[in-house]
Amino acid sequence: MKKQLFILLLMMQSISSELMLEITKGSDDPYSVAILNFSGSEDVSRTIQGVIINDLKRTGEFRVLEENQLLSSPSAEDEINYDDFKLLNIDYIVMASIIEEDANNLYASYKIFSVKKKLQIRTSKVFGIPNKLRQLAHYMSDGIYEEITGIKGVASTRLLYVTEEIFNEESSFKLIVADADGLNEQILLRSTEPIISPSWSPDSKKVAYVSFETGVAKVFIQDIASGEREMVLENNFQISSPSWSPNGKFLSLTLYQDGNAEIYILNLKNKNLTRLTNHYSIDTESSWSPNGSKIMFTSGRSGSPQLYEINLRKFNSKPTRITFDGNYNAKGSYLPNGEGIIFVHRKDRSFQIALKYFNENFVRPLTNSKLDESPSISPNGNVIVYAISEDGVSLLSGVTLSGARFRLPLKNGEVREPSWSGFLR
Amino acid sequence: MINTNIFKEKNFIGLFLFIFVISSCSSMNVTEEVVYDGGIRTVEASIKEDSTLDYETKAIFTNATVYFDFDKFNLNSKSLQTLKSAVSAMKDNESIKITIAGHADERGTREYNLALGQRRAEAVKDYFLLNGISSSRVSVKSYGEEQPVAYGSNEESYAKNRRAEIN
Repeated sequence: MKKQLFILLLMMQSISSELMLEITKGSDDPYSVAILNFSGSEDVSRTIQGVIINDLKRTGEFRVLEENQLLSSPSAEDEINYDDFKLLNIDYIVMASIIEEDANNLYASYKIFSVKKKLQIRTSKVFGIPNKLRQLAHYMSDGIYEEITGIKGVASTRLLYVTEEIFNEESSFKLIVADADGLNEQILLRSTEPIISPSWSPDSKKVAYVSFETGVAKVFIQDIASGEREMVLENNFQISSPSWSPNGKFLSLTLYQDGNAEIYILNLKNKNLTRLTNHYSIDTESSWSPNGSKIMFTSGRSGSPQLYEINLRKFNSKPTRITFDGNYNAKGSYLPNGEGIIFVHRKDRSFQIALKYFNENFVRPLTNSKLDESPSISPNGNVIVYAISEDGVSLLSGVTLSGARFRLPLKNGEVREPSWSGFLR
Repeated sequence: MINTNIFKEKNFIGLFLFIFVISSCSSMNVTEEVVYDGGIRTVEASIKEDSTLDYETKAIFTNATVYFDFDKFNLNSKSLQTLKSAVSAMKDNESIKITIAGHADERGTREYNLALGQRRAEAVKDYFLLNGISSSRVSVKSYGEEQPVAYGSNEESYAKNRRAEIN
C-alpha cells in the first residue's frame, strides 16, 4: 500500500505543472554583462549557463549578451581585448568552467572582469550537489549579482505558495515550495480543504500556515525537511494569520476566542499567550518590523480596513494609525530595511499593491491590475511577489523596486498566497 | 465530529556541509561555497467526516442562507425573515444544533475576509441568542473568501458569495 502510494506520488509530481517565467518589462538603466560560453561538458555547461542568464534577466537589472552577440570570444584572461567589449557598452565579463571530477563531485569556477577597470574583480568556486545543477547555477547567479550590484542576490532563495486544482468538482489544495524562479516545485502539504497565509520561519527551515482540514481555520507549524508538524494551539476557536518574530521565538496570531478577530503573541517555547489588541472591530494580519520592535496590523476600527502599528518596547502602547490614503489598506509588511511598508491598497474599484516610505507622505502604487493581493518582499528588499487575478484565475506576478515586472503563471489551476523565504546561501 | 489522519510520504534527506569563505586579496573577491539542500518531505492532510450526524432533523435548514453588503455584517430585513423561521424551528425541536458559516467575496485580503466572514456568522448567532436560543446550540466559523458559490468577478457573483450559511 505504502509503496503504491509512493509511486503514485512520484507520478503526480512529474506531471505537476510548473510555473512559467515571462518577463514583461525591464529596468530603464540595466547593467550590461557578457556571459562567455562555459567550458566543461556541453549539456551540463549549457544548462547551468541558461539558468544563470534567466536569473540575471529576471532581476530586470541586467542586459545579458551571449557569445554570438560579441566581437570576440576569449577563453582566458590574457585573451581578453577589453576594447571589443567597450564598443558594445558592456560593463562586465563572466567566464566560467564546470568541472566534473566524477559522478558525485562537480564544481563551478567563475571569474568576473570589469571592462572599465580592465581587470579581474572576482574569482569564485561553488561546489555542487549531485543532480542539483539548477541550485549550483543559482549560487553562481547570486555571486555575480552581488559582485556587480553590491546587493545580495535572491536566485538561491525559495518561494512558498498555495495551489488549487479542481478535478471532478473536487478541490485539491497544495502548499508548495519552489526555487525563486518558480521551478523545482516540491509539495509540503496536500489537502482537500483550503490552505491560506503561509509564512516562513526566519531561518527558512519551518513554515507556518492556516489549514481548514479540521473544519475551521487552524494554524500549523511544519518542519520542511522532516515533515513533522503541529497545531500551534489546540482549542475550539478559529485561529489564523501567523507571523514569525524576527528572532523566531514568537508567533503573532489572530485568535477568535471572543467571537472577534484579535491579535495575540504566542511564545513558541512555553505557549504563553499575550493579548495585543482589544477592540470590537476586526484586528488581523499582524506582521513584525525587521528589528522586532513593532507589530503592524489591519484594523477596521476607523470604519474601513487601515494599517496600524503597536510599539512593543513601550508598556501599554496604543495602536497608531499609519495609512490615511483611501478606504482600504490591508495586509501590510515591512521592507527588510524597515524604511517603509508594502500593502494592499484600494484605488477606485481596484485592489493594488502599494509602497509607502515612512519619510514620504504619499502612497506609491506598484501594480495596476484589478485584484492584486498577498504581497511578499524578497529578503534583499528588491523584488515583490504577489497574486493577481486574470479571467477569474489567480497567478503570481512580480515587480522589482527598479521597475521590472515579471509573472510566474501556472499552466493548470490557480496559484496564490506567495511568501518569500529568507536568504538560504 | 472530524478526525484528522496524517500520512507522511516521501523523504528526501540531504546532509551537506555548508562552507562559505570570503577573503580578499588586492581588491579582488575570492569566494568558495558549497550548495546547501535541506530536503523536503510531503505531508497529506485528509479529513474524515463522521456520518453519524443526524442530517434528517437538520434538513430543514439546508438552504438557510443570508446575504450581506460589501465590508458589512449587519442583517437586513430579508435576512431577518429567513432567520425568523429558523428560530421557530429550533424552538420546536430542542435537539437541533446549528453551525453558522460566514463567507466573503473575493475582493480585499484573505485574512481580513476571514475575519469579516466570522463577523457575519457572529451577527447571525447574535440573532438566535437574542431570540432565546441557547448559545450551546449555535457554533460559528468562517471560510472567508475560500469557498465561493459563484465564480465570476462581478457584482452579481460577489453578492452571492457574501453570505452566512446555517446548517
